[in-house]
Amino acid sequence: MVAVLLTMLAACGASPAAPPAPAHNPTDVMFLQMSLEYVRQGELVVSPAAQGASDPRVRALAAEVRDQWRDEARTMQRWLTGWQQPPSADPDAGAHAGHGDLHSLRDADIGELAAARGAEFDRKAVSLLLGHLHNCVEVARMETAGGQYPPAKALAGQITAARQGQIRRLLTLAGPS
Amino acid sequence: MRRRITLPLLSVAAVGASLFVAVAPASAHGYISSPPSRQANCASGAVPNCGDIIYEPQSVEAPKGSMQCNGGGSRFAVLNDNSRNWPAASVGTSVTFNWVLTARHATSTWEYFIGGTRLASFNDGGAQPGATKSHTVSMGGFRGRQTVLARWNIADTANAFYACVDLNIGGGGSTPPPTTPPPTNPPTTPPTTPPPTQPPAGGTWQAGTAYASGNVVTYGGATYRCRQAHTALAGWEPPNVPALWERI
Repeated sequence: MVAVLLTMLAACGASPAAPPAPAHNPTDVMFLQMSLEYVRQGELVVSPAAQGASDPRVRALAAEVRDQWRDEARTMQRWLTGWQQPPSADPDAGAHAGHGDLHSLRDADIGELAAARGAEFDRKAVSLLLGHLHNCVEVARMETAGGQYPPAKALAGQITAARQGQIRRLLTLAGPS
Repeated sequence: MRRRITLPLLSVAAVGASLFVAVAPASAHGYISSPPSRQANCASGAVPNCGDIIYEPQSVEAPKGSMQCNGGGSRFAVLNDNSRNWPAASVGTSVTFNWVLTARHATSTWEYFIGGTRLASFNDGGAQPGATKSHTVSMGGFRGRQTVLARWNIADTANAFYACVDLNIGGGGSTPPPTTPPPTNPPTTPPTTPPPTQPPAGGTWQAGTAYASGNVVTYGGATYRCRQAHTALAGWEPPNVPALWERI
């Protein structure tokens, strides 16, 4: 559905002599920019949790996500630079106005996490991370469905698989122990 | 010159983003993670072959008022299938339900039912939920295997999010921890745990240090005042978290 609409949009602006197919499309750019923004926000949960969680399983999982995010972010930034695209979408462009920022981790969420101690800190970190990883998967699946640049689609598939595995583990940790 | 090339591309991306938000089926919101809802049991792999719900347990969204586990929509009918052998969590007669939220919608109410009986309703009066959301609900006279239907009613749309949780009530299992009632607001008092390190006045920010509200540190050549007592951890460097540090 998204892909169809994007194709239609692209067609509107196409000149009569069809140019060669671009190596990437707006969905690729959006995937990379949104993922980088999610990584930036998510760092505020995984880095502290990797150090400060009580449960060693939470610490290990947070460290794993953090390290994978950092690897993925390096690749994403390289592609965006190569395409002469900014690393983040223009916050004034309206793309994320209204609904979009509902999906973001808020400064107040980090404040709540910082106020929590012990098992309560772990519970909040797991819950925040679960919600955040679901949003990451959503953006990766958007790329799988509508992206064009093959390496970015491959990365999206890898991200979906890795995050789904981490979500399964987090759901186990979220249960009453 | 570069700016001229970049801006049109960016606006195409912006249009794409708006379309994505408007039409993507996975427009994501929330579900009960503990005790595990049916969609959580699908996402965790506890129940196999659930279909697309494993990628978006947070997306069981449908018009308000349904009593079905999938909200009566066309998607995720697997959640209504009682032949699926859903695991039932053993709980006491009072159960704490924990939600995972992927979008913090303004909320009218959270409702919990067994059969046609409404066990509880929590009115948020249009407020946005905080970092986490939990409700402790009495199971009334219900015992044994039961399915709780939870509805998260959104304040500014016609829709609700649905989650069914299978329980074995009073089954002798562990009761969800009532010892740590989740605060709905961040505590305003400093933690009772003693600070691991006393911050030197006006020193450089350092991970592992317990800062009290009002402490002043330097970081990256700037000076910050602590706004909320906390233990500093990697990632929470003062410029990163305005909730914790105010630049002065």
